[in-house]
Amino acid sequence: MNISIEKKEFSDAVYKVSRFAERKNTTLPVLSSILIIAGHDGIKMRATNLEIGIDLKLEGKYISDGVVAIPAAVLQQIAGTLTQEGNITIEHTGDTVSLMSGTGKSLIKTVPYDDFPTIPFPENPKNRVVLPGVLLKNLFTSIAPCASSSMVRPELSSIYMSIEGGVLTAVATDSFRLAEKKIPLSNKGTQGKFLIPAKNALEIAQALPDDDIIMSFDEHQCAFVASQGMFVSRLTNAVYPDYRQIIPKESIVEAVVLRKDFETALKRTTIFSDAFQKVKISFNPKKNNFSFFAKNFDIGESSETLSANISGSPLDLSFNHRYLLAALSLTTTESISLLAAGIGRPLIIKGVGDTSLLYLVSPMNQ
Amino acid sequence: MDKGNPRELWEYILTQVELSISPANFNTWFRNSFIVKVEDGVIFIGVPSQFFKDWYLKKFHTLLLKIVRDVSYEFRNIEYLIVKDERRKALKEVRNVRGALELPLDEFYINKSDNLNPRYTFDTFVIGSFNNLAYAAAQAALERPGITYNPLFIYGDTGRGKTHLIQAIGNQYKKQYPGRKVYYLTSEKFVIDYTDAVQAGTANRFKDKYRHYDLLIMDDVQFLSKKERSEEELFHLFNALHDTNKQIIFSSDRAPVAIPDIAERLKGRLASGMSVDIGEPDPESRMAIARKKAASHGVILSDEVVEYVASTMSGSIRELEGMVNSIVCHAQVKGVAPDIVEVRQSLRSFTRPQKNISVKNVVDKVAAFYGIDEESIYEKTRRREVVRPRQVIMYILREDFSISYPTIGTKLGGRDHTTVIHSCEKIKREVIVDNDLAKEIQNIRTLLV
Repeated sequence: MNISIEKKEFSDAVYKVSRFAERKNTTLPVLSSILIIAGHDGIKMRATNLEIGIDLKLEGKYISDGVVAIPAAVLQQIAGTLTQEGNITIEHTGDTVSLMSGTGKSLIKTVPYDDFPTIPFPENPKNRVVLPGVLLKNLFTSIAPCASSSMVRPELSSIYMSIEGGVLTAVATDSFRLAEKKIPLSNKGTQGKFLIPAKNALEIAQALPDDDIIMSFDEHQCAFVASQGMFVSRLTNAVYPDYRQIIPKESIVEAVVLRKDFETALKRTTIFSDAFQKVKISFNPKKNNFSFFAKNFDIGESSETLSANISGSPLDLSFNHRYLLAALSLTTTESISLLAAGIGRPLIIKGVGDTSLLYLVSPMNQ
Repeated sequence: MDKGNPRELWEYILTQVELSISPANFNTWFRNSFIVKVEDGVIFIGVPSQFFKDWYLKKFHTLLLKIVRDVSYEFRNIEYLIVKDERRKALKEVRNVRGALELPLDEFYINKSDNLNPRYTFDTFVIGSFNNLAYAAAQAALERPGITYNPLFIYGDTGRGKTHLIQAIGNQYKKQYPGRKVYYLTSEKFVIDYTDAVQAGTANRFKDKYRHYDLLIMDDVQFLSKKERSEEELFHLFNALHDTNKQIIFSSDRAPVAIPDIAERLKGRLASGMSVDIGEPDPESRMAIARKKAASHGVILSDEVVEYVASTMSGSIRELEGMVNSIVCHAQVKGVAPDIVEVRQSLRSFTRPQKNISVKNVVDKVAAFYGIDEESIYEKTRRREVVRPRQVIMYILREDFSISYPTIGTKLGGRDHTTVIHSCEKIKREVIVDNDLAKEIQNIRTLLV
């Protein structure tokens, strides 16, 4: 094999692909390697850790074809040091591969590639939707942190994706809070739902291109195909809880506040929160304001009052401040609305004018 | 292997697969898979994801098919299913439950008020020719406590079941005479109690404490030797209990007269009732003990296993019990009673270590034992104090390590093999009649192990 790639293209590709390789020093060495394939249909890089997989096309000149597997960690370190303009030449002879870039030349021991697994594609390509990659990328990166990080309940550490009536709904919850985000789709025919592990979704989001991609899925596998390459992930095979049940239908008080005020006031109050990270919020319809209060026996206490548009009856609720703050990264609107349904019932946070988002957070015991 | 059982079939397949692929491959691809079901000759293998399914089809299908065909031709095909995450987890948990079998704790439960271990009963006591006299005496004592045999003195070597017998008497007594008070203690505890009481200045309360029992069982009285004050206290306690016809039971590792450094008046009293010894269990009894012990854990052992266990362990029943426990543990982990080969394998640690020891080592040990210079063993000297050790060395090398006569001869200073034969025969003859020599050789053997 003998290929030549522009340095920037090469380092970008290695950065993307190495995320899909196995990072733990586990069993099969080929799983922690990147497979470089040169053939008539171009140059490709592949990696998989048996959860997710990538098959990325690269722009570059190829002189002769061949296949080689190189440890991802080594390539990643090399790619991180490439600075100057120019091309990098990869040549494979025997069981070593030589990397030539301008002044330097490195010889790297290769890994036998016979054991490199095939990257599986969904069996039933009927379930497919086309959507801009940038939307999906934002969706995954914003919503994935709301999923549970524990593997005890696989369904809760996954993102629930449901396509119905031309709308893609993504939901993530860790049973303390829940985020639901909707994206309109251009083709309205497809229906279906699947659960993608949040960890995998995050990795894929890092590699997704901005332009249109085709998302297809079946019972066990999903794939995101773009012109540059293909990304696949295993799906969680479990039943997602019926989250719509817990969303309160009615509310007794609603507050509309400026997002900026809310954020600064909350951040200042959290300094005084206790070991349980508790922050109390109060709705005062009479004075038309909204206040935060936190108390810590070691530090002291603090209260913040901000003017708000309140309608309904007065109410006090306590929350974990991290869960309140997380809502802000999900929407970009200038003002947000908070809807409370009563003591002990979840609070809904929405962006004013942004119907795509619904964020639900359970209160702490008073 | 039961080919109808998916779990066993899968384990067999794994052992075969492991031989044909690299460990890294095996760990990556086979660790999380299992057989879901076998239906109409089709084996359904559950795998974690599409990656696995594709790779199984591409790489391992022919291998797996070949392995199952070798098991039976009734397996037509293999299909791969991607199974739910919960399903895989649930299966693992089920497996864990099997592995986590715990020893029941109640075996070690000891009643605080009488200090008796409920584990020791007559139901679990095996009676053979070696202990039937002791057993009969115990029954007689239970029949008319305090009158027939008082005190009852049971003695025998360690691990013969003395403690079992006397505790069983205590437990049976409690059952037969509810309301009467039993107390079991070791002589060592008696000594400690007494010294504590003297220290605290409550010696009078100590006297009262032991005098109100209807049955007092004291284990291992030989440890009282040289403890004069405690002996005297026991003497008074004995008199008090004996006079009021309260039953007393003693155990010891030797007969009352043979206990060294113990007051004569106490010695006489210990022997005044019934002294009975428990001998070495005969092979049949040992087999019965092994079988009963295993059965109490719910494991039925085959006859040859029982025979093997009983014949390899000589002497202590306690070691026999340990051996059976180890087999039981194996059986519980594997789920089936082990066969003779496995038992032999697993009990290697119990049997005496394989004897491969250098001649020089034996010479060193024996010379040191007799306090002579080891060089003299190899010399041609015929001094009496050298000749005897030399013969003993030859005897031990021949008997215990099965070294050939000519080899022994050459190793010990180039002697003729007939000399060696003569020496071995001589010691063999003498050892039967000469108790001191037998004891010497026994001691040397312990040094060599």
